[in-house]
Amino acid sequence: MTLTARDKQLRGESRWGTAALGIVTWLVAALFFFPIFWMVLNSFKTELDANTTPKLLFEPTLDRWQAVTETIPGLLSFSEAFYNSFLIVIVSTVLVLVLAIPAAYALSIYPIGNWRDALFFFISTKFLPIVAAILPLWIIARELGLLNTHLVLIILYTAMNLPLAVWMLNSFFREVPRELIEAAQMDGTGLYGQIKDVMLPIVAPGVAATALLCFIFAWNEFFLAVQLNPVEGSTVPVWVSTNVTTRGMFMAKLSAASTLAILPVVIAGWVAQKRMIRGLSMGAVK
Amino acid sequence: MTTNTEPQSSDRAAAERAAAIAEFQRKDKWRRRLPLLPALLFTIVVTQIPFLFNIWFSLQDWKIVPPRGPDFTGLENFTEGYSNTFFLDAVGISIGMTTAAVLLSLLVGTGLALLLDRQFFGRGIARTLLITPFLIMPVVAGLLWKNQIFSATFGVVNAVIEPLGFDAIPFVERYPFWAIVTVLVWQWSPFMMLIILAGLQGQPTDILEAARVDRASGRGIFTQITLPMLRPYMELGIVLGAIYLLQVFDHIDVMTGGGPGSTNVPYFVYQRSIGGGWDFGQAAAYSIIVVIATIIIATIALRVLSSLFQRQETA
Amino acid sequence: MAEVTYREATRIYPGTEQPAVDRLNLTIDDGEFLVLVGPSGSGKSTALRMLAGLEACDEGTIHIGDRDVTLVQPKDRDVAMVFQSYALYPHMSVAQNIGFPLKQQKVPKAEREKQVREAARILDLEEYLDRKPKHLSGGQRQRVAMGRAIVRHPQVFLMDEPLSNLDAKLRVQTRAELADLQARLGVTTVYVTHDQVEAMTMGHRVAILDYGVMQQCDTPGELYRHPENLFVAGFIGSPAMNIIPTDVDGDAVVFGSMRIPMDPAVAAAAAKSGGAGLQIGIRPQGLVLGDEGVPTEVVVVEELGSETFVFADIEHLGERLRIRIRVDADYAVARGDKTHVNVLGPVHVFGTDGLRLKTAEEQAG
Repeated sequence: MTLTARDKQLRGESRWGTAALGIVTWLVAALFFFPIFWMVLNSFKTELDANTTPKLLFEPTLDRWQAVTETIPGLLSFSEAFYNSFLIVIVSTVLVLVLAIPAAYALSIYPIGNWRDALFFFISTKFLPIVAAILPLWIIARELGLLNTHLVLIILYTAMNLPLAVWMLNSFFREVPRELIEAAQMDGTGLYGQIKDVMLPIVAPGVAATALLCFIFAWNEFFLAVQLNPVEGSTVPVWVSTNVTTRGMFMAKLSAASTLAILPVVIAGWVAQKRMIRGLSMGAVK
Repeated sequence: MTTNTEPQSSDRAAAERAAAIAEFQRKDKWRRRLPLLPALLFTIVVTQIPFLFNIWFSLQDWKIVPPRGPDFTGLENFTEGYSNTFFLDAVGISIGMTTAAVLLSLLVGTGLALLLDRQFFGRGIARTLLITPFLIMPVVAGLLWKNQIFSATFGVVNAVIEPLGFDAIPFVERYPFWAIVTVLVWQWSPFMMLIILAGLQGQPTDILEAARVDRASGRGIFTQITLPMLRPYMELGIVLGAIYLLQVFDHIDVMTGGGPGSTNVPYFVYQRSIGGGWDFGQAAAYSIIVVIATIIIATIALRVLSSLFQRQETA
Repeated sequence: MAEVTYREATRIYPGTEQPAVDRLNLTIDDGEFLVLVGPSGSGKSTALRMLAGLEACDEGTIHIGDRDVTLVQPKDRDVAMVFQSYALYPHMSVAQNIGFPLKQQKVPKAEREKQVREAARILDLEEYLDRKPKHLSGGQRQRVAMGRAIVRHPQVFLMDEPLSNLDAKLRVQTRAELADLQARLGVTTVYVTHDQVEAMTMGHRVAILDYGVMQQCDTPGELYRHPENLFVAGFIGSPAMNIIPTDVDGDAVVFGSMRIPMDPAVAAAAAKSGGAGLQIGIRPQGLVLGDEGVPTEVVVVEELGSETFVFADIEHLGERLRIRIRVDADYAVARGDKTHVNVLGPVHVFGTDGLRLKTAEEQAG
């Protein structure tokens, strides 16, 4: 419950106190956001301007943006990277939900005896550092002809996000009153009907929050993408790293690339943040 | 007298009934398990097979430079690795980095959530600005801070303090550990903030009103009512944060390249295998040690200390 | 519409020793309104849910009609249930809630809408068809839950304390409407409540449960006049019956300074237990204040307007005993009054095992 003006009054907070806190919050938010703002600013500078002592005033140019978005044959282009990322991340997120929703149902409604063990198992798969798993994964991927394909990253990102999704969806499902499920059972629904017609509409904000988190983590993943798909099927994080050159100045170009790279996730996050908070408060915890 | 046959037939009927009930219960058990299977099988296949491979690798003497093996050596990699000082250093860094990042981002995140949990002008925009760091690619964040914020030559921080008379500080070079922790906290505070915000907005209003009627002070309300109520949310934040922050890699790779003082266990393992060491057997052994240790610690933490699992008992 | 039979039905929750429902034997006639009543933990809800199929039946059987439904899934049993919390689907409108079971049965849309409208008409919900549950009052939500059950035309209605979330006045009003509805529809109904007044006023027959064991199943009148044991005697009737430990004096029982003669059969049964450890039960309505009887002192006066109930102390077997007496509304009485209490109504005698000792004609009939 957000503090209203009256609440603050009751607590003895003066009008000026409230205004001051509001300003403080704004300042903190601006400070927090500053590095990103600075990066976006740099993308409009020339390399010369970007690679000297920082300045706020400069002559803006779209030159680096042009450099970053042009397609050079033989090099990974931004459109190709974006296409790959979108495809991989969206398919993997959908797959995560398709697998996690029934799994969460099994763990929450009429839970099996050792649901805690199952949940712990899912979480434990995140204890192995991917850097350790990369060798076997690389060998298996090569044997199966999956290197440099979309499929390999789809599979791995799904496995990466599944534990989080199962955990979150499990808590959300547990918030649905048991009697609603029973009523649905008596009204003639089976498992599929109960999930589709009763549970999902009720926990929709929670599902949205989960999907958003999966999207964020999959989109931003770098290590697996660069190891397994360096040539074909490369994702946006890989593309960003190609802008870091060992010779010459690259700060402005990198800023432009980075800005582009974070855009989809930032937009998605901005649009869905309210739903995310509502989803989290629904029962990720209780 | 028909008493001889009657008990037998009713016994048989009872036995049939018991069998039917047992059959029904067995089918019911499977019906409950079924929805879990796709996710479970998928996870087992994709995660456990590499893990098994790792176990096999860890028992081999297998290097690429200079090329050797794979030859079976049993537990030699483990005994060697267990006492390797560099490994232990990395463990220390892992624990330190994770703890610092988790706790600091929880602190900052809670503070931000408290600031945001009030109505004021432009609240939505402020919140939007605050969550953005979490949405950014770790690689981008690392490069951004290293080259544009912390840099001794081009960095914004130095551009601000130098005119004030201070010497330029090459943050990343001089304080690699804390430079990385700073970026981690910058990125994960919004995550904690979202969770705590969800908790704050779920506060039952009647308890707060009762406290106000009892003329509790603002601080009193906070410490005695709000904080305890936030505890499960904080626990969730700590658990999720720790799971992800333990595996930090990208930041270290782009900011320090694994210099002393900033190499955690994942980076250490990387350095031993495809990051230059090319000793696959040894690297695999290290990762096994880490997994086992993490499972033990996590089991203790989650089952005994945290109320997260117990609390979910609604069935 | 059908008969419902519980035969030795038992439910033991895993990990517990005491059965929640212990060998229940109960037959409910076609079209009957049967109430399951008892205190918390008596197993009444469990018994209802066993009939619904939401609780397993560990031993025994349950039949609907002549069909053994013990191992049948809830949706295939042709029963409809109204939950205590109503369990309305919050994201669906009233019309969609009521129509939901029909949708599951793949009833075509036109027919579905017709039936929904019909149910809404019966329950006076027609103007609310497009509203969501959160915009309805408690009483309206309760009716939507009923609508969802009615529209299925099931063989049995199950109701789990459907009125307990309503305020007192609405509860009394809805009680009458529910009873009337059931009489009109004529569907076999099993109704669970903890409120004995509800039980007595609504049911054709009432089954009383305590700790999973059925104590008695009879018409309200019979339960009131001829309770089988101490539990039933103390549970039915408001205010509760006075239960008084006493001794036998020859062929009579002692009550304060009075000796009340027993029916010969009762006396014989009492003698078998050695004449000790007996209890008698007299309802407040069976006692009267006046000039005759046991000397007593008034302690508390409860004026209800239509009648008055008085707590008074008597000397009984050497101890001070407090009993409750019903008094006419216009009878002048005040705290501290010293008067007498006489016995009008039936005096029940209960043996050491809690069972009521019966007269000869009761034992015969």
